[in-house]
Amino acid sequence: MSVPPPPRTASPPAEPDPAAAVIQTAALTKQYPGPVTALDALTVTVEPGITGLIGANGAGKSTLIKILLGLLSPTSGQARVLGRACPADGEQIRMLTGYMPEHDCLPPDVTATEFVTHLGRMSALPPTAAKERAAESLRHVGLYEERYRQIGTYSTGMKQRVKLAQALVGDPRLLLLDEPTVGLDPAGRNSMLELISRIGAEFGISIVVASHLLGEIERICDHLVAIDGGKLLRADTITSMTQVRQVLMIEVDEGADQLMAELGRRGLQPRRYQRALLVHLEGDSTYDAVRDAVADLGLPLNRLEQRRRRVEELFQDEQAPDEPAAAIETPEASHVAIN
Amino acid sequence: MTTTIELRNVSRWYGNVVAVNDISMTIGPGVTGLLGPNGAGKSTLLHLIAGFLPPSRGELTVGAVAAWRNPDIYRKVGLVPERDSVYAFLTGHEFVRATARLHDLPDPQAAAARAIAIVDMADAQNRRISTYSKGMRQRIKVAAALVHDPEVLLLDEPFNGMDPRQRLHMLDVLLRLGAEGRTVLLSSHILEEVERLAGTIQVIVAGRLAASGDFRAIRRLMTSRPHVFLVRTSDDRLLGSALIGSPAVSGVELTGGGLQVRASDYGTFSRQLAGIARDRDIRLRELLPEDESLESVFAYLLES
Amino acid sequence: MSLSTEPGGPGGAPPRARTETGVIHDIGYRRYTGRRVGRAQIVRALYWHSLRSAFGLGRGAKAKIVPVIAFGIMCLPAIANAVSVAQGNGRIVPYDTYQPQLRAVVMIIFIAAQAPELVSRDLRSHVLPLYFCRPLRRLDYPLAKLAALIMACLIVIEIPLLLLYLGTIVGAHGGTGIWDQTKALIPGLGVGLMWAVLLAAIGLVLASLSGRRAYATGTIAICFFLSFILSQVLIQVTQRNVTHAGPPPPGSKFIGSGPGPGPHEFIQVTQVPTTATHLSGLVSPFTILDGVRQWLGGTSTGPLPGVGSYGPLYGALLLVLLAASLAGLAVRYRKAGVA
Repeated sequence: MSVPPPPRTASPPAEPDPAAAVIQTAALTKQYPGPVTALDALTVTVEPGITGLIGANGAGKSTLIKILLGLLSPTSGQARVLGRACPADGEQIRMLTGYMPEHDCLPPDVTATEFVTHLGRMSALPPTAAKERAAESLRHVGLYEERYRQIGTYSTGMKQRVKLAQALVGDPRLLLLDEPTVGLDPAGRNSMLELISRIGAEFGISIVVASHLLGEIERICDHLVAIDGGKLLRADTITSMTQVRQVLMIEVDEGADQLMAELGRRGLQPRRYQRALLVHLEGDSTYDAVRDAVADLGLPLNRLEQRRRRVEELFQDEQAPDEPAAAIETPEASHVAIN
Repeated sequence: MTTTIELRNVSRWYGNVVAVNDISMTIGPGVTGLLGPNGAGKSTLLHLIAGFLPPSRGELTVGAVAAWRNPDIYRKVGLVPERDSVYAFLTGHEFVRATARLHDLPDPQAAAARAIAIVDMADAQNRRISTYSKGMRQRIKVAAALVHDPEVLLLDEPFNGMDPRQRLHMLDVLLRLGAEGRTVLLSSHILEEVERLAGTIQVIVAGRLAASGDFRAIRRLMTSRPHVFLVRTSDDRLLGSALIGSPAVSGVELTGGGLQVRASDYGTFSRQLAGIARDRDIRLRELLPEDESLESVFAYLLES
Repeated sequence: MSLSTEPGGPGGAPPRARTETGVIHDIGYRRYTGRRVGRAQIVRALYWHSLRSAFGLGRGAKAKIVPVIAFGIMCLPAIANAVSVAQGNGRIVPYDTYQPQLRAVVMIIFIAAQAPELVSRDLRSHVLPLYFCRPLRRLDYPLAKLAALIMACLIVIEIPLLLLYLGTIVGAHGGTGIWDQTKALIPGLGVGLMWAVLLAAIGLVLASLSGRRAYATGTIAICFFLSFILSQVLIQVTQRNVTHAGPPPPGSKFIGSGPGPGPHEFIQVTQVPTTATHLSGLVSPFTILDGVRQWLGGTSTGPLPGVGSYGPLYGALLLVLLAASLAGLAVRYRKAGVA
């Protein structure tokens, strides 16, 4: 059962096709005098959903953002955002995009309400709509009565929320969030990540999150774009980058040596890895052998987990440390089905 | 030779604000993580240990010598503060070498080169710091703090602004320094990194020391809180019904991701699980502790 | 989507006489489908916002002190004139110069205090990226700010002139009297407009050099004051003392007289402006404005004792200063980055 949509009063800017790529670049290059190459023939497509942007150092990241917002012309190559060309359609792009900068950008002596309302006007909203949407945005980010106090009195977490609210006030189709959890303590980070997840999942807004924290990216993003030295390192879904491997990890609180011996006796060739043991996963029989070994010895089992690839491996020069030397993974290795 | 930091009933107040409230702790060699919410007093504690502030009450010694009013302390202690505290117009090399000369080292050039090599900044050392990215500034700050080969290294949010590669590298550097027997105290909000780096943690909440030690051990101490596990098997419901029969289990719940188990007696549960599964011919595919991470332990400590 | 509950269970129990229903309203994120305003309106909104800041509106009582006092002091000559006219005298304050010293001091104080309100605060809080990531164009921002500061200066300059006019025509005799006053007022308003435009432009570009309000205020005040004092010193120093018999020539200052050697002769010593004096006004915006006023036909005495034949030079320098200020603003805000 659904409520019919409200009647449209005036034509909004032409809606981009929801399935089309949100950002597309082709051999995008930007060089500064120096010579400093901030972006080097970057070709990448960002799909709808939540995409993490990692690895870009300061110059590369800010250059990319400026080009995508139509504020800077590339040295060569093209970029399109929401189907529009940068920098030619820059104004349209900026109307449809919300940006949350990394640095402090809030004046201390206005209230959140005034500030977000004013920026709503700057986002081409008429006065009443700006007020209403400012109030709504502040509610969505979780600022209630605090919004009537001056921003100078806010904690870091609240300030980050104000930054997010001003990015939402113009009803963007794309959000560019630059290090949204910087300076937040663990509880604050958790809230911010949940908020971003919710926005991506429920509000129908595509999000690009620039972050250095791989844990965050693995947690909330569907896709990943990794840039290294201005060049594209990898662009992929998180799922494919965190695929399972045919390795089973077993952690017991005590008796690891005994377990090692017992698993060896059962022909599993275990090896140690930090606090745990690793065995090659042949099939269901491996699970049962491990279970039985642990049960026979009466050891306290703390963890049993099929290992996955980690995004971090992109940035490590050597092989994953728990990788057996000759193991070859089949590409379609997937988690064994649960019946 | 190792240096131990010792605090006994240390308090520090500013007027009515008690930043550090009656803290006693011992920090030995290796890497220790200092955790706490914003405003808990971590920075104040680091400044007390570095000898920049006197304790309002209590004793604070570094290597059995009081930290306050003791310039010799600076020979032994290197501090990497959170705020940008570098001279942007100097090159990286000049900055580290100047720090070496301030420490009156016999060969400042060599000391600077060594420190810069440790943080892998040799390529960029002759550029001005104003051209550095945030991550590079952090690394040069660490180099300056290491130039006099201190036994104690204090770091306040050292990973701030570093990209993943720089982080991994700094993690290695700090692990190595800790393994060498130095006393490394690191304050950070990025718990997934502290988890990897620090054997011991010290958790500060509102100026008080809430917990110390290995976080897994701390979790085991929270006996009033059942341990939460997620189990995936060939027959979750059957296992659930079997487990609820055990006095070690206080609750089971079938969720989309598997069987969630609350174990009131962690030790007994963990020993019983494999046997219970085997007896009923249930295949155990996955057992994941859900609230044993540093993040969960930290959240629990804040709640109490 | 709404959920409602109705009474009467599935077991066939008869519904209660009083119906009870519940509804959960959907207050999730709403898209904005209303109209968006054009760029011109965004600039207008920023203009109004800045104009309000120039008078401390919406910012607490302390922010209003300087603008209100400045305005009040500027009105004093008009009030004094109204009192004098009421007592039956003629108009005592000229329209084209008003009270030149007073006006200069008040404008220095007003601009030095308020131009930083408009631009230095935004620079200090690093909020500019939030403007430039929106449909606003780069140069729209300084344009709106300048328009607001010019209007604020116009308010402080022209309204006292109008009060002067109103205070005078109250005592005027008939239509010709009023028409005479009106004819004299119009050029005065024109001079006021010149003042507003030039001083606002210079003040704004100086303020945009610093994010610290104290530094910006100091810079503006010092530049204006020092240049003015310099012009006054140069004017004094370059004037020639001339001894002659008879009445003093026009444009000179009478400084002394005494009995001469011959009978019925008066020796007078007056100060006469030289070429250098005519040129001394070029060092300060206030004397430049006065020079242009005199060149365009203003007859009241001002800080500059005559332009000689250099009127066009003054006019040209006025335009050059204005153009330089505008160019300075354009350069300043083209550089301000986003990320």
